[in-house]
Amino acid sequence: MAENFLEIKDLMKSFGTGEAKQEVLRGMNFTVNKGEFCVLLGPSGSGKSTLLNIIGGIDTPDSGFVSINGDKLEDMDEKQLTIYRRKHLGYVFQMYNLIPNLNVKENIEVGAYLSDKPLDVEEVITTLGLQDHKYKYPNQLSGGQQQRVSIGRAVVKNPDILMCDEPTGALDYKTSKEILALIEDCNKKYGSTIIMVTHNEAIKYMADHVIKLRDGIVRHNDINDKKIPASELEW
Amino acid sequence: MRNPLVKRIPKELASDWHKYLVIILFMVGMIGVISGMYVGRDSMIAAIKAGKEELNLEDGCFELSHKASDEMLDSICTGGMADVKQYFIDEGMKEADEKVEEEIEKELRSTVEEAIEDGVRAQCEAYGITDEAMIQEQIKTAMDENFDSALDEARDSDEFKKAVNEAYEEAHKEVLKAVDEEWEDIAEEYKLNDPGFSPVPVKVFEHFYRNESEDNNNDGTEDATVRIFKSDSTVDMASVIVGRVPENKNEIALDRNHAETVGVSVGDNVRISGKEFEVTGLVSFVNYLTMHESNTDLMFDAFGFDVAMVTPEAFDELPSRLHYNYSFFYESEPADKAAQKDTSEAFLKALITQSVVYDNELKDYLPTYLSQARNFAISDIDGDSTGTGIFCYILIAVIAFIFAITISNTIDKEASVIGTLRASGYSKGELIVHYMSMPFIVTIAGAVIGNALGYTAFRGMAVNLYYNTYSLPTPRLVWSPSALVKTTVIPLLLMFLINLFIIVKKLQLSPLKFLRHDLTKSRRTKARRIPAWSFLRRFRIRVLFQNMPNYAVLIFGVILSELMLCFAFGLTDSLVNYGDKAPEMVFAEYQYMLMGYKDKDGNVIETDENTAERFSCHSLMYPKQKSDFSRFEGMGSGGDESITVYGIADNSQYISLPADVPEGSVFASTAFRDKFYLKEGDVLSLHEEYENKSYEFTIKGFVDYDGGIAVFMSNENFNKTFDKKSGEFSGYFSRNEITDIDEQDIATVITVEDISKVTTQLMHSVGGFIEIFKYAMIILAAALIYLLAKIIIERNEHSISMVKILGFKNGEIGSLYIIPTAIVVVLFTLISLVVGYFLMLWIFHAFLLQMDGYFAFYMKPLSMVLSVLYLLVGYAFVSMIDFFRIKKIPMDVALKNVE
Repeated sequence: MAENFLEIKDLMKSFGTGEAKQEVLRGMNFTVNKGEFCVLLGPSGSGKSTLLNIIGGIDTPDSGFVSINGDKLEDMDEKQLTIYRRKHLGYVFQMYNLIPNLNVKENIEVGAYLSDKPLDVEEVITTLGLQDHKYKYPNQLSGGQQQRVSIGRAVVKNPDILMCDEPTGALDYKTSKEILALIEDCNKKYGSTIIMVTHNEAIKYMADHVIKLRDGIVRHNDINDKKIPASELEW
Repeated sequence: MRNPLVKRIPKELASDWHKYLVIILFMVGMIGVISGMYVGRDSMIAAIKAGKEELNLEDGCFELSHKASDEMLDSICTGGMADVKQYFIDEGMKEADEKVEEEIEKELRSTVEEAIEDGVRAQCEAYGITDEAMIQEQIKTAMDENFDSALDEARDSDEFKKAVNEAYEEAHKEVLKAVDEEWEDIAEEYKLNDPGFSPVPVKVFEHFYRNESEDNNNDGTEDATVRIFKSDSTVDMASVIVGRVPENKNEIALDRNHAETVGVSVGDNVRISGKEFEVTGLVSFVNYLTMHESNTDLMFDAFGFDVAMVTPEAFDELPSRLHYNYSFFYESEPADKAAQKDTSEAFLKALITQSVVYDNELKDYLPTYLSQARNFAISDIDGDSTGTGIFCYILIAVIAFIFAITISNTIDKEASVIGTLRASGYSKGELIVHYMSMPFIVTIAGAVIGNALGYTAFRGMAVNLYYNTYSLPTPRLVWSPSALVKTTVIPLLLMFLINLFIIVKKLQLSPLKFLRHDLTKSRRTKARRIPAWSFLRRFRIRVLFQNMPNYAVLIFGVILSELMLCFAFGLTDSLVNYGDKAPEMVFAEYQYMLMGYKDKDGNVIETDENTAERFSCHSLMYPKQKSDFSRFEGMGSGGDESITVYGIADNSQYISLPADVPEGSVFASTAFRDKFYLKEGDVLSLHEEYENKSYEFTIKGFVDYDGGIAVFMSNENFNKTFDKKSGEFSGYFSRNEITDIDEQDIATVITVEDISKVTTQLMHSVGGFIEIFKYAMIILAAALIYLLAKIIIERNEHSISMVKILGFKNGEIGSLYIIPTAIVVVLFTLISLVVGYFLMLWIFHAFLLQMDGYFAFYMKPLSMVLSVLYLLVGYAFVSMIDFFRIKKIPMDVALKNVE
């Protein structure tokens, strides 16, 4: 496992100006190793989504930097950032954001198209348990199934880092566990580094690395030696 | 791997097929019609141009008062000027010699008579005879016996010979002196002192014709004047459209357009000056593409004028006067229009001198480049397509905006997807290409199908439209690159640029903003405050605010449609109005223009008609570019406007001018004022068309006259201004027909019918087209409103679904979402009527500036009401569709997140 694959250094970010100014990240520091399953845990407003967006290159810090495999994002222009996201990242959001007039397979192909080394689409569909639904449109699927498609779209790229922003936030307990198991599988099977934002404390038990945030700073930065499979999680 | 987003496009087309069908039909119809117009035009122009060579179109023609001798024709062909001075000297000498001879003879006879009488009286006195009767008898006897011998004796005397020589010498000196003295005037009159003149060699062909009366329904009354040429003419030939050329002396071929206009077909019989002829063919003469009887006609007249051909045998038997018309062809063709002008003017100078020296009056001269009958249709066909082209581009721009708004709404709707795609690594460029592809595909589909129809069905329509108006040859289908550029390349570019601009602007936002649905660049800190009206009213106002860009395009569409309806209604109304006003557009029921104010015997032309009143007139040019109308500088032909200057009798019963208007002051016609925005006190600088001579006049006031661009002054001032002799005049105004002036002395007679035939012809030519245009505009307006209203409903689908869940009834929801659109449509239809009307006035005015004359735009109040009503009926239909659309929106739209 490559050490310090992802490095976050003195990251600061605020929104608004004057009295309305709100500091969301107040000097954040940590590193993540390659292939790690890292969970960013914290209550609402702790800055975890902002941090994820900055790591994903879709938001910029006021100061500090993010470097991935030695490449600092702050040195990249918009075009390079797009290429960075295209080559290295996969995104899963709480809302599935699927393209309504493309079927399951086509939605997954949307991700595969971006990658130089995509996984086999059919294989991903099978892994996600969507083989019976691959010609269905998003509005014919349940929330859990839609989230599977959204994960499929992200992992089919075979990304170095899979960014997951509250992927189970809109799902019930059972479906949430299925989705978490799926992400876990992807981590194991494809070796992707996972960075998952969640406010669900239980999820930390399945992670290699747990970073707890509060008020824009890292409160705890722990390595979990006793991780358990997603299927055994309870909350 | 192919971009999977491409797969969305057919699905998008299929899912919203009715919207795209409307757009594609719209584009196909529009591009088809425009392409048809261009292809039809190019095919027509190609046929017209080909006819120039194939049918031997003359470079010009002239008419002489009698048949030219071979010697005269040879001289004309040289293109050189005749020695007019020598001609005048020779003529003067001849005349002087005759006069001297006559005087001498008279004087000699009188002297001899006197001598004989004196001798007889002296003898009588010597013989003491005093009786006068006897003396007279003696004188008579002496005369009879001695007069001739005495005369001969006197003639032989040296004294007489000397006197005769002196008289001739004196007379010749007088002639030379008179010619010398008047030479400058003569030279100027015939423009003989042009140092730059070079001969214009030509070939000349006889092309005689007769103007006969045509009775095309055999009811014994004249229906038209027909100009008849011989069928074996080798110049200015005709192309046969239907049937064949006449082969027997009782056969005739008529102009196709005239025949169709008056309902004559091949096989029918017509009476020409009382004699019956069978129509064997319908033809188009290369030099008569429009039925202009005279080049000064305001408008051609396919009802009242016809051009035809009969066999030479039949031609010789026709009763009317033969017009000694000759066609000429330049030996070396002028390179361009400027050269054509110079060449034709030089040839005219030469021709005038030849007509003088051969004593054969030049009655008419018309170079082809100035011929209305040849050029009116060509320039009109060209002008048509410019107008339709601009109209096409405006409509394409409207469609492009509709597309841009649709896409903009789609982008709003798909914000999360776009954010996710961008976050996943899709570049802005890829998304721009994706969203641009739909308008591009639809435009290409519209252009391809439209062009295909343009070359087939619509081409025929355009050709028929031209055929209905003009006397054109059979068109030849030509590949029209200009049609391709104008109907495909330019629409694609317009669609591309407008959509690119809006989509690029829309996709500028960061992926995060898309993910957060935060799609406005500047966020209003506070919501707009709305007065404490009822909830429903406030809701509607919010709908209005929320859909501002959609309503902006909707308003533009409504204004455009209303403008077009104003055009369609206004054009018909203006023509009818012009026709109705025709009686006011002539000063008098009859206006006689004379060939000169004296007849051929030198007597002033008089009439016993009580209502007749003399007037003078002269044509000058008004430089358009020097007008105060600077806003339009550079527009139009840039040529000069022809102004008629009238000299009016004091206390005229036809045009009232104040007494004692000083020289240099004029009254302008209201048409002149309205066309060039003149005002009292303005100084007009008018100049002669062919001479370097200009005049300045101050406008003292205006004469209520809409029939022409004219200025008025007293007859006295007129004669002073233009160096005319006192008492000189140009013609008569009269309330009744003048019957006691020789027709040879009358150049033209203008009556009310001449004015109204303009409108009759125009209505015949474009009336049908305007009706179709009117209904096309209503459909266009309804289609535009349909598309935009659909966008507004789609944009609010989520909210509509939500209010349905809350318990609002369909009727209430309809009132929330349809009433704001209805208010906008009704309000802006009314505003557009005002805008459209004034815009039409402006456009019409700008259009007329390119032409000569003036013709006010007019719209009847009923037409104004109808133009609004038509648009609203179209909208009412769309509202019904909207209501059904609202009813169909399911409630789960608001509950499901299927993004």
